[in-house]
Amino acid sequence: MWKVSSGIFLGWSLGANDSANIFGTGVATGAVKYRTAIWLTAVFVLVGALAEGPKVMTTINELSRIDPVAAFCCTLAAGLTITTLTFLAIPASVSQAIVGTIVGAGLLAGRVDFTLLYKVVVCWLFTPVMGIVLGYLVYRVSASILNRTVKSITRRNLIYSTGILVAGSYGAYSLGANNVANVTGVYVSAGLLLPLEASAIGGISICLGVLTYSKKVMMTVGKGIVPLDPFSAFVVVLAEAVTLHIFTQLGVPVSSSQAVVGAVVGVGLVGGLRTVSGKMLLNITVGWIMTPVAAGLIAVGLLYGTRFI
Amino acid sequence: MFKKFFQQGKKEQAVIDKTAAHIELLIAACKGFHEGLIQEDKSRVLQVFHLEREADTIRREIIAAIYEGAFLPYLRPNLCRFAELVDRVFDDIEGAANHYSEMEIPEVLKEDCVRVAFYNIRICEMLLICFHALIEGNELREKTLAVRIYEKKIDDIKFEMKRILWKLPVQGFWEGRILAEFVDGLTAISDIVEDASDYLHIINVSMK
Repeated sequence: MWKVSSGIFLGWSLGANDSANIFGTGVATGAVKYRTAIWLTAVFVLVGALAEGPKVMTTINELSRIDPVAAFCCTLAAGLTITTLTFLAIPASVSQAIVGTIVGAGLLAGRVDFTLLYKVVVCWLFTPVMGIVLGYLVYRVSASILNRTVKSITRRNLIYSTGILVAGSYGAYSLGANNVANVTGVYVSAGLLLPLEASAIGGISICLGVLTYSKKVMMTVGKGIVPLDPFSAFVVVLAEAVTLHIFTQLGVPVSSSQAVVGAVVGVGLVGGLRTVSGKMLLNITVGWIMTPVAAGLIAVGLLYGTRFI
Repeated sequence: MFKKFFQQGKKEQAVIDKTAAHIELLIAACKGFHEGLIQEDKSRVLQVFHLEREADTIRREIIAAIYEGAFLPYLRPNLCRFAELVDRVFDDIEGAANHYSEMEIPEVLKEDCVRVAFYNIRICEMLLICFHALIEGNELREKTLAVRIYEKKIDDIKFEMKRILWKLPVQGFWEGRILAEFVDGLTAISDIVEDASDYLHIINVSMK
């Protein structure tokens, strides 16, 4: 069972990093207390992981059949990649890292489903696009409904404050459902864990990351997006949650960070604002290429290393 | 965790009620000042001091309620700033009342002073209308425009008064200074009310 330890580490770092995409703006602006945010995130991540996590695990399993040692090397390589790229301030996605490592390990063993890989890569490209479209549409539709039906400032205040909590909880659910497969999915493929066991262990490890080490990132991300008003913050989280949920139904692990960036751009487009810079686009592109390639290479290196042990 | 939801905005309603009471008190102060000027009754004008003390208490209660968690943090600075601006109007009225108690308004300025005091009532009433419109989610544009129109009218009278004031013979430094400060205080109220109405507009925009 020691082979699962690297998956738990990966889950912990995912929880510590990606929870900021859910309640970052809410906590940084004071709309949600940090303690409330982390407990809601932890509970709903676990619920999402147990309820819908196995859907994405199927894709991870079918991408390549790997043995238990390879599974350990894949999650370790993904964890190392994420840590290194985060240190270099390059936006990194756990989904892309783990897929990169599985493809690396699969290439070494000569077993990669390229048709499925093509589907996954297309979904990655569509993640920010869907974030933009949903951010724009959710903003337009909900603003139009609210402007017609809820005029009182007290009621709006109540709707925004509870809306951020509800959308954040849904976001946490979608994060758990979509990303738990990244953490422990490979162990199902390797025959080490059953899908439900993998969902539970993955979900708990993400929860641990959320509960123990998410404050710093949450504040950094939240304060970076602070110009958002409460309504926009609510729309961004809701659009991100829906994006993740849609890709969960398609069985593809995607990046919550890219979904949230897309949603911010979508909300910005409503007001004709320039919310994305060329530098940000370059950073995302570099992250897209660097993450799976670097993770794949590290996994291959680790697997070569295990042959000499 | 969901205290706010189950309370159904009670804290927010308390802030709204207190803010409305704050502005109503301001209207009462302006009315008292206006009547005092017409009747040349200094004791009537000096009642503003009591109203100012009452308004101070209300302002403290508003700010305490906001910091105890009423409204989203995003709105709190603007709501606090609004309460402080209303309080600044009280300070100016109090200052003008104090100056009035120490002087006699020259005949040539009397009519203009009464006109400004009258428009001060109107602009404060318009501020209350703006505040209710904000709370009920009605359109604010025309109401804030009305505030700006009143402010412009008072500004025009102020420039007229200043021109008269500069030529007015005074017996000593303090007589001149007290008169100038009285006119400044009386005519500055509309500027602060205009700023306050701008804050209402900002709050309205930020909640849409």
